[in-house]
Amino acid sequence: MYIFLCEDTLDGIFTGVYDAWASRYGHNNVALTTQVLDNYSLFDEYIPVQTDYEKSAKVARTLKKRMGEEVYGELCHAASAQEEDPPKKHSLNKADAIYKTIVLALSLPDSSKVLQYLGEPYVNRVFSLSRRTGNEAHHLLGFLRFQELENGILFAKISPKHHVLPFLGEHFSDRLPQENFMIYDETHHLAVLHPKGKGFFITDTQDLDSEMLQRFSSKEQEYQKLWCSFFENIAIEARKNPKLQNQNLPKRFQKNIVEFR
Amino acid sequence: MNLQMNMDLMEKLNILSAAAKYDVACTSSGVDRKGGGKGIGNAIAPGICHTFSADGRCVSLLKILFTNECIFNCAYCLNNRDSDVKRAAFTPDEICMITMEFYRRNYIEGLFLSSGIMVSPDYTMDLIYQTIWKLRTVHHFHGYIHVKSIPGADPVLVEKTGFLADRMSINLELPTSESLRRLAPCKSRSTILKPMRQIQNRITDNKQELTVYHKAPRFVPAGQSTQMIIGATPENDFQIMSVAEGLYQKFYLKRVFYSAFVNVNGNSLLPALPGGPPLLREHRLYQADWLLRYYHFQVSELLSEDRPDFNIFLDPKCDWALRHLEYFPVEINQASYQTLLRVPGIGYKSAERIVKARKRNSLTFEDLKKMGVVLKRALYFITCSGKMMYRTKLEEDYICQNLMRDKTQIPRDIREGGYRQLSFFDKELHADFQLTDSQILSP
Ligand code: SF4
Repeated sequence: MYIFLCEDTLDGIFTGVYDAWASRYGHNNVALTTQVLDNYSLFDEYIPVQTDYEKSAKVARTLKKRMGEEVYGELCHAASAQEEDPPKKHSLNKADAIYKTIVLALSLPDSSKVLQYLGEPYVNRVFSLSRRTGNEAHHLLGFLRFQELENGILFAKISPKHHVLPFLGEHFSDRLPQENFMIYDETHHLAVLHPKGKGFFITDTQDLDSEMLQRFSSKEQEYQKLWCSFFENIAIEARKNPKLQNQNLPKRFQKNIVEFR
Repeated sequence: MNLQMNMDLMEKLNILSAAAKYDVACTSSGVDRKGGGKGIGNAIAPGICHTFSADGRCVSLLKILFTNECIFNCAYCLNNRDSDVKRAAFTPDEICMITMEFYRRNYIEGLFLSSGIMVSPDYTMDLIYQTIWKLRTVHHFHGYIHVKSIPGADPVLVEKTGFLADRMSINLELPTSESLRRLAPCKSRSTILKPMRQIQNRITDNKQELTVYHKAPRFVPAGQSTQMIIGATPENDFQIMSVAEGLYQKFYLKRVFYSAFVNVNGNSLLPALPGGPPLLREHRLYQADWLLRYYHFQVSELLSEDRPDFNIFLDPKCDWALRHLEYFPVEINQASYQTLLRVPGIGYKSAERIVKARKRNSLTFEDLKKMGVVLKRALYFITCSGKMMYRTKLEEDYICQNLMRDKTQIPRDIREGGYRQLSFFDKELHADFQLTDSQILSP
């Protein structure tokens, strides 16, 4: 078996897909993984993958063209998922599941139908990983809170399990095109930056000016207060139900939400 | 009336959000709209919840009244003209400012604006129209807007507002016109149904216009909804669901909401409800509503004159299946989509997945589990390649007992949050079902 070791990022995995495909070892003889292995098997050959944005973009283009936006979106979600740590027994590594799903898709008369083959374990894995990322991203579309800094920039901090930042960047760029905003992912040490009127980009956060992020605009406090009192007033006393509240809005999100602090 | 001038914004917001909380619709769903690079805001069809209030309900919109002043005297409402409550009114600019600033900070998906009736229905509706007009054209707000139409307002105002709002609603309030006459004498079925029909017709015409000219302005693109109060008046579930079915079929409503009655003002025309609001009943009505909208059920299959109320202990689909064991078990690898929809434990999404996935290879119970089928419910009603999951009897009493042992028949939040209420029901229904508390509530 030839095992391609890829970086645990969307581009890393797509580069792995490109290399594995181009290697011509035959689909049955290759596997992909994003895991850092501490046990190498003597019978396998390990091939480190050098993440290459051009290769990744080529893969992305092909996938979009052949499978459509929807399946492509699911594959991206799956690639951005954080896997169980330590990995569960028998659980397929996401890179391998993605590769095998792509192989199956391209062998079908209609590649866009690949996610219907839930009986296949690797398709199932892609489906469930994608659902995990998708759910968290969807939650954060609502649970993320911006605060207005002194310089007018809207700033939000999130602590997600999965790498949802690109999806949030896309959503909020469409929603707030005329704002300067920044979304800081403290789990992955990355941030979305969106300058007013332009597209967004993702950057690492080594030289984040943490002092600047503490200086809020003069109005910020006032709106937070208004919002918090709206939040308290909207609940119906006779139906009070903290358990349901915590079930719907899991505790791990609450620390970054102004009305729960 | 003690309307106060120069009240500060915080106090207004407190009064006018507290006064709006009994309207249950807070969804932002039903319309997709891209931001388009200018202005602010977009809309996402499945809707987005921004927070959950202390009662566990999703908060998605800034839900406020324009004013809680009112010239009407609906008995169940805290804002009625006879109530001794503090009154307030926003200005259109105040509402625009709060909406914009909340939206920028991602507190909300948009605005849900409703109102008590100040001066006259037209006067109030005009203020609402002005507010929405400002938001859309001065502030370039493209987020979600839900407007509640004022009963009795001029159709021209309703139409103008409809071209700016995403969703409109007019609350039916009570299931029968008789109850309406008794509790809301200033309203009538016709002041409610007329504008509902008007909006429906305009939506239909607009669809035509849009096929001819796709840039035509859109009228209420997320459709219209309504709300009924449950438990304030003596109507049974059969009457309530029949009304809902009529609204879906004849008025093409997007949603009917059911609101468990909360006695806010101790009015003598109204029941006291010592057990708290009828949350479990409300829950069953919502379940049945889903069966109508997504599962191709008809009310006449679920209830009848002789059985006018839902079984409190079982969800309506399980209850239906138990009374129709002749249809079961169904074979997962062959049954039609329609048939699968009727199996307890199989949701419409799982049913879709099953139909697609079984084309490639026949499915096992393990596969079903992965597709989201709730096997502990479904197992009595299905076979996979001719085999049942366990040996079970296809017998009403036996299955019923087992299903009832499943505590999720009563949702966790009601089980835990509203225990008092359950025991209130228990007493009443105990005899009929011959169940002990431990059977209902044990894990
Ligand atoms: S019209 Fe009736 S329900 Fe509406 S605010 Fe006035 S009294 Fe309340």
